[in-house]
Amino acid sequence: MPQSQRKYEDVKVGDALGPQELFLSKEQVRAYARTTGMWVPRFTDDEGARKEGLPGMITPGNMSLALLSKLVTDWLGSSDARLVRVGTTYRQPVLPDHTIILQGFVTHTNDADRTADMDIWIENEEAERLVIGTATVQFGKS
Amino acid sequence: MVDYDPALIGRVFEVTDPVPVTAEMIRDFCRATGETSPLFVDEEAAKRGPYGSIVAPPSFAVTFRNGRQFFEHIPRFGRQGFDAGKDVEFVAPIRPGDKITLSSHVKEIYEKTGRTGSMVFVVVRSTLKNQNDEIVAHVDHRFMNRP
Repeated sequence: MPQSQRKYEDVKVGDALGPQELFLSKEQVRAYARTTGMWVPRFTDDEGARKEGLPGMITPGNMSLALLSKLVTDWLGSSDARLVRVGTTYRQPVLPDHTIILQGFVTHTNDADRTADMDIWIENEEAERLVIGTATVQFGKS
Repeated sequence: MVDYDPALIGRVFEVTDPVPVTAEMIRDFCRATGETSPLFVDEEAAKRGPYGSIVAPPSFAVTFRNGRQFFEHIPRFGRQGFDAGKDVEFVAPIRPGDKITLSSHVKEIYEKTGRTGSMVFVVVRSTLKNQNDEIVAHVDHRFMNRP
């Protein structure tokens, strides 16, 4: 488990988060749906999802949010910082059994609050941004 | 402009029963999201960390279900709405043994015109509190409708 000790003083605008490449299997999406009480056809079963007009089963938006939050907390590692805000916009369905790429970069730092803002997103192999978002992290006192 | 009863805004329309959080729920969530950080998965390492025990990863806050009547209280504009996104403020960690309650209200309603026409967004805010009446998170659900 990669555990950096990221410090506020080391964070610069433009710093990259990821990229993390992830093959998101149907089994993993079903495991998420099972444990979070989202066991409905659109998230668990291709045929059931098609009956709802979808191309096949899709990844819950909440799971995309969780994977992007993890991108940020992985980047923070075991430092004293914590994720205090995340926002997501679901632009296109995230289809399982494909490779997705999670990444982001720091857009702003605030010395007075010791916070950093970042843009984060999920793209597919065609470099289409399926989910876009922003996050804020808060570092401890120096 | 879209037409709705302004009295809707800010009025809590639902408070759920408390949901007990177990270590097993956090473990299953970590497995499903591929989580490996010791803060969330390693009891021994977490004891030495900033929280003194395992806590749930922040995004666990969006796994709590709204109550059965939730959608009856959200105004609809035109065809069926869908989940357009979320904005989450993480206030305090969620721990095994916590009992989490959600209270929800309509935060705002606004209209936007994009490439594909007019859209109405309804933002519902759910505030999560633990058994000590401490706020742990605010989750804003953004529902999009096409009139």
